[in-house]
Amino acid sequence: MATYYLDIWGEMCPIPIIKTQRKLKELKCGDTLVLETDHSCTSRALVVWAQEHGHKVKEEEVANGIWRIELTKMR
Amino acid sequence: MIKKSQRKLNIGFSLVMVLFFLLLLQISPRLAWLFVLSLALGFTLQKSRLCFAASFRDPWLVGSTKLTEALIIILLICIPGFAIVYHFFTVCNIPIALNVTPFGIHTFIGGILFGIGMVLAGGCASGTLMRVGEGFAMQMIALVGLIIGAFLGKVSLPYWLQIFHEFPAVFLPNIMGWVPAVITQLLILLLIWQLIRRWQRKRKELT
Amino acid sequence: MEDRADQNALAEKGSQMGEKFKVIYKGPWEYWVGAVVLAILNIIVLLVRQRPWGITTNIEEWSMWLAGQIGLYRDQVLSLKELFLTDGTYLNLGLILGAFWATVVASQARFRPLKNKKFAISALLGGILMGYGARIAHGCNIGLVLNGIASSSLAGWIFTLAVLVGAWVGAKLLLRFLL
Repeated sequence: MATYYLDIWGEMCPIPIIKTQRKLKELKCGDTLVLETDHSCTSRALVVWAQEHGHKVKEEEVANGIWRIELTKMR
Repeated sequence: MIKKSQRKLNIGFSLVMVLFFLLLLQISPRLAWLFVLSLALGFTLQKSRLCFAASFRDPWLVGSTKLTEALIIILLICIPGFAIVYHFFTVCNIPIALNVTPFGIHTFIGGILFGIGMVLAGGCASGTLMRVGEGFAMQMIALVGLIIGAFLGKVSLPYWLQIFHEFPAVFLPNIMGWVPAVITQLLILLLIWQLIRRWQRKRKELT
Repeated sequence: MEDRADQNALAEKGSQMGEKFKVIYKGPWEYWVGAVVLAILNIIVLLVRQRPWGITTNIEEWSMWLAGQIGLYRDQVLSLKELFLTDGTYLNLGLILGAFWATVVASQARFRPLKNKKFAISALLGGILMGYGARIAHGCNIGLVLNGIASSSLAGWIFTLAVLVGAWVGAKLLLRFLL
């Protein structure tokens, strides 16, 4: 049940998703990955991707135009 | 990190937009309404996070086809929509021009260059403009590139035309009639949609 | 006791509807919703403009004007006054401002700076390739992919296929140089 932080700050779409996919492979089921981005497209794409692949995802706008995503690996 | 309401900025900006609209109205109602329409287009693009670059790029890079499907939806609506409008205007003798352009091998090359460019720039032409509005420094640079590239393209087009023959525009309804043209294109799009769905299902089964 | 439960249920309903309303101005909208709205707006532009929506034709006009200003081009170009009277200028300007407005309405407006120099280079290079490719083909993702196909033009389909190929090449380049 570990929590990891992945730095995707300022990376353009779709690099954050690629990095997330790769990082998620290393994680165990139940682990959580935390990401922050100021890119609306990226935030949305991450949420959609996570839902498509059956992972639990929580998205929160923590500041004006900055999103924080918590992805929990489920499979 | 703090989150504060940008209501004052919103009200101020809205006022400026309304004033600008009224100003344009004096010059030409057509320009004013097209401006309003484009505001709506920009608003819609930003709110739905639609990205045509992702439609083409994400299947290759992350295996996601949600945006490709969105593009297909737009085309499914617009092909018959354009056909109806064109028909209606022609019958009423109102001038109308569709985007039916001549093409050649250079058109295909142009498409390849455009595809490479939009992936590198993080957005297509509409995506670049949208992200300039969202405040992205990267796309502001891409816009500068767009302007430079457009100039280079325009001045080099005559040389391309010397190398490659340009075929006159092919308007599909002229070849096969309106109804077959529209139906054929819709069927092709629906077929592509089915193939995408099938590809996604296969991918899901593998994981 | 039942009144309290009813009141709570009502308040719950109210805040649920408030949440739904918030999505309209905060986003994000579902992709398919955006697609349908965009398609309708696109058709309305055709109705008003009597030509389809396009982006790069106007950008080319501005770039030629700029080139004329700095002496890179001697032939006839549109004057600044003419540029400000073409509908293309306002279609492009409005798109930028509309997107900005969308962020302000949601209190999400901020400047989003570059984080790495490599993105500046790829943005400039990417922009140049896009502008170049669009103008030798007489259209971009809106003028040719969206509205070329919508206009039942063969060139639209050809360009779209080419963009798909280009995107694949671009993806390879991205993985190699930008990841």
